[in-house]
Amino acid sequence: MSGPLTQAWGLLLPQSFLGSPVFAVLAAFVAINTVMYLALAIAKILPKVYLSDHLPNGNRRSETRSIHPDRTR
Amino acid sequence: MGRFQRAVGVVILGTAGLGALLLWIAIRSNGGAAAHAPRRGFVFGVWEVLYDTQAPSSRVLLIATGMALLFAAGVALLERRIATRARRSEDLHRLPLAPRIVMAETRGIYHGPVNVTVLVPAHNEAACIGDTIRSLQAQSHSPERVVVVADNCSDATESIALALGVEVFRTVENTRKKAGALNQVLRELLPVQDENDLVMVMDADTTLDPGFLEAAVRRMTADRALMAIGGLFHGEAGKGLLGQLQRNEYARYAREMKRRRGRVFVLTGTASLFRPRALRAVAAERGHSLPGVPGDVYDTIALTEDNELTLALKSLGGLMISPPDCTVVTEVMATWKALWVQRLRWQRGALENLGAYGLTPQTFRYWAQQLGIGYGVIALSTYLLLMVLMVLSLDHWVWFPFWVGIGAVFAVERTVTVWRAGPQARLLGAMLFPELVYSMFLDIVYVKGIIDISFARTAHWEHKAPAPAAQIQEPERA
Repeated sequence: MSGPLTQAWGLLLPQSFLGSPVFAVLAAFVAINTVMYLALAIAKILPKVYLSDHLPNGNRRSETRSIHPDRTR
Repeated sequence: MGRFQRAVGVVILGTAGLGALLLWIAIRSNGGAAAHAPRRGFVFGVWEVLYDTQAPSSRVLLIATGMALLFAAGVALLERRIATRARRSEDLHRLPLAPRIVMAETRGIYHGPVNVTVLVPAHNEAACIGDTIRSLQAQSHSPERVVVVADNCSDATESIALALGVEVFRTVENTRKKAGALNQVLRELLPVQDENDLVMVMDADTTLDPGFLEAAVRRMTADRALMAIGGLFHGEAGKGLLGQLQRNEYARYAREMKRRRGRVFVLTGTASLFRPRALRAVAAERGHSLPGVPGDVYDTIALTEDNELTLALKSLGGLMISPPDCTVVTEVMATWKALWVQRLRWQRGALENLGAYGLTPQTFRYWAQQLGIGYGVIALSTYLLLMVLMVLSLDHWVWFPFWVGIGAVFAVERTVTVWRAGPQARLLGAMLFPELVYSMFLDIVYVKGIIDISFARTAHWEHKAPAPAAQIQEPERA
């Protein structure tokens, strides 16, 4: 026998719903988003690398920024 | 409220929605993923489980990872570029607080040592004002002056303050809450403050950690171009699971600040210090390049006056930091209802401020942040929808090893990012689901904030009855 009677059902929806195109698109959409957030999560776990610390920098202060004008640096 | 201000929420959520829609269309035109039947397996050779090895293709994984990192790096790079440009600006009219200009104006002149006047706005804070004043007096660098700004107090706030030996400024006919009270006291105080006579504003329910002022004074002494220092806040102990959820959130924020090397998002109203030059420049620009009433330091219309003042100072080119050694302990909300009210005010205030300032180089980072939260709302709700649909259409529980693995990485991230906050914080982070529910709650607040601002609903904030008296009162000397 075939037809809807033999179809496996979950709590509310037929199991075949999981094979429908809409569900496939939703699943892929969620998958991509989840992976995007995963990448950001991994970036947050890892220690941060400060590129500017390793680059030669001509940006050093040329005069003191202290409130004391006679301070050397 | 202007039309643009009302449209802010729609613009942000609309842009996030458009991004999601584009992704959706791209997937649909690509045919989506093919479903296949789950397999049967055994765990430890004992428990029979259904599992499905379905996982996204490596191409999809790569594109998604690339997109996320590109977006994050793009925002960070642009933010740095904008900050560097403001730093080097010599445009006296547009950016009067830019470091180069301040340096030129203060070069070669010694304006005396850095000292601190603390303003504590208080409205019926008898329960906590004593602790706040004592935390100030216990600082390793005690402030030169403490002024409790008593705003329509009908309790013992004023007498407690006077008994502890600090000054009291009583507001006159103030109906503009905290911002109005601070404007009144600043109008009297600022004209007599010299270059290095710092003004600190702190909440009455906040306790400073002992080395806060010493660290702040050291930094303000070392850098005369530094215009403001914001405190890093930690949640107070107690108040159960909800308290711990907020402490975890604050701990992550503090970690993020450290990783940003103190580059400020918001100079928190809980405790921030300003050079008087910065506050005077803001008051002078109100009604011109900044929103608000000319002569006011704080914009009394803004719901979140600390966030607004941060935007004002940044718009004028002011340099500011939140150093890791300037920490404060702040109140956490005891009930979900109180948290709802607090966060709705923050969210609504942040959106209104963005509407008032528009899209400028200085507000770019804040727009990107709101957009990020908006996209997060879409991502989290579609994730939950997918879970519900799966549960409703499966007759057996099916495990997806790939997705279980991803869940484990998220649990690690939640735990590592609150590591310094202690074992309870780590445990809660590792459990993943309580924080997921907390995020959902904050997402609902976010959407409610957008709906409210779009329909220009005015929130009902308490208006206090004005008190008649005036002037700064000297403390009673024992």
